[in-house]
Amino acid sequence: MTLLPLESSMSTPSNLVSIRNAYDDLQRRTLAGIPCDFARLIYLASTRDYNSGLYHHEGLAARFGQEQAREALEACHRDVFSRLVSLPLEELVTEMEAYVRVSHEAPAGFIHAWMELEPYRISVPMEVDSTVVQLFLSNIRLALEVLRFRQEKTQACQPASSLQPLLGR
Amino acid sequence: MNPSLALAAAAAFFVALLLLSNRQEQVEEVEVLGSPGQQTHNRFRSLPAFSPVELANRIFSKDDREFIARTRSPRLQQLYKQERRKVALQWVRCTSREVSRIMRNHRLGSRQSTNLNVAAESKLFCQYVELRLLCGMLLLLIRLFGPHALMDMAAHAGELYQRLGRRMTDDVVTP
Repeated sequence: MTLLPLESSMSTPSNLVSIRNAYDDLQRRTLAGIPCDFARLIYLASTRDYNSGLYHHEGLAARFGQEQAREALEACHRDVFSRLVSLPLEELVTEMEAYVRVSHEAPAGFIHAWMELEPYRISVPMEVDSTVVQLFLSNIRLALEVLRFRQEKTQACQPASSLQPLLGR
Repeated sequence: MNPSLALAAAAAFFVALLLLSNRQEQVEEVEVLGSPGQQTHNRFRSLPAFSPVELANRIFSKDDREFIARTRSPRLQQLYKQERRKVALQWVRCTSREVSRIMRNHRLGSRQSTNLNVAAESKLFCQYVELRLLCGMLLLLIRLFGPHALMDMAAHAGELYQRLGRRMTDDVVTP
């Protein structure tokens, strides 16, 4: 767990304990219910305000305080991001496949929209090394291309396989 | 060829490499990081998620390359090369820039120092030059031969060595 921003900005022991509690609570109650890391990343990025870059979570703030909730969300966001950047490409593709399933969108439409709009760009936490960001974005582009390739392959196989029983008859 | 002429040519080549890497750094730094103001902002706020070695291992990962090769898709393999080349070049540039920054800070600090160890400083400077040259060479290799240039070259050398070894053994066995 990377608590770098917490330890540096809010160094009093009681604050650290509250942030740790908020962090654990967020992991246990919210993030554990999300099926894959990619979905967790998108969820955590969505709790961040586009204009201010500050995180916000109503329930967590009510229980632990606004600032503590923010720090906990930021720490979780960083952790999930680090895990995803560390993944080999093959596992990242599996993660993305799981996320496509969770989204309940048609895979072809999903892949097309993600390639066109690149919404994953806003899922990157702030203050991350620029090379790490480039690596992450590059891996997502590759993973999407692999998914598209697999889909095209499946579609190309489908007519042939649907003909198979006919040919067999 | 005259040895001194060869030496001068080699020195000129390395200087050109350094200048090229510096110029490319300045141009592409802005492309990647935005305006100079934003760049300073990024530098001050960045937190190291990976050590440089971990990051290099991740960028030049053999597993990723094999995974893409298994798809047997020329389009994917081409895209993989392009993507990795971009990231690899940025990694080299960032490493080179960071080393320059550390050296600049060290130089400023050592100006005020009263007991400078000349031998240690010379050694440090040599290491700095070596690293900058290495970065320049890496930039050139990645640009010309792709992100896995060094590994590919090593593998090719290994292959050649084996082939040569086999041929020599065959020649000895069958006169």
